[in-house]
Amino acid sequence: MVVDARGSWCPGPLMELVRVIQEEAVGTEFELLSSDEGSRKDIPLWIDKAGHQLLQITNEPGFDRFIIRKSHA
Amino acid sequence: MSVGNSPSPARMAIILTENHVDKLLPFSTLVSGAVAMGFEVHVFASFWGLDAFRKSSPSPHPPTSPGHGAAGAELESTLADRKVPSWKSMLSTAKGIGTLRIYACSQSMQLFHLTPADLDPIVDEVVGIATFIDRTRHAEASYFVG
Repeated sequence: MVVDARGSWCPGPLMELVRVIQEEAVGTEFELLSSDEGSRKDIPLWIDKAGHQLLQITNEPGFDRFIIRKSHA
Repeated sequence: MSVGNSPSPARMAIILTENHVDKLLPFSTLVSGAVAMGFEVHVFASFWGLDAFRKSSPSPHPPTSPGHGAAGAELESTLADRKVPSWKSMLSTAKGIGTLRIYACSQSMQLFHLTPADLDPIVDEVVGIATFIDRTRHAEASYFVG
């Protein structure tokens, strides 16, 4: 599932991620796209605190791509 | 929502006394981040902070604080051009993902001749300061936005 939060400012990408993770089933993988500088640290921090899995971060031109798996309800 | 391993969620207390966009957006950002990080957030809206919750308050973005000249005008146009979410829509989103309670200061209700029907339904309750203090007695973080 792709969550394209490019162009959204802090805390937009994080709030988008929290919302979709709450809505989707355990095991779902999300591809979050963000162009917000703060999200580079905020997203991994939240995933760690919330106990989900950050599978990959890729720095693309102008944005970052986070691959995340929802690992519990 | 539960974030981390703590048995009961951490609580945050915020007192809001301002109604300009350059205070309200940092406030709604603070609320959003705190709710996302698993805090139970309790807001006490007083004076102009309560005025901001009137149904008739400017939407989506109220004006900036006076005294910033051209920079204030530029900020207002950037907020409009970039379709930045309103502070109140950010609070609604925060309520959807966690616990956010918004209290109207009973003293300010009287000062501004307000009834609960005058306020945006996002406000949960009219309370006195002692009730707010009691409900945030064990808050791990407290902020004043004014």
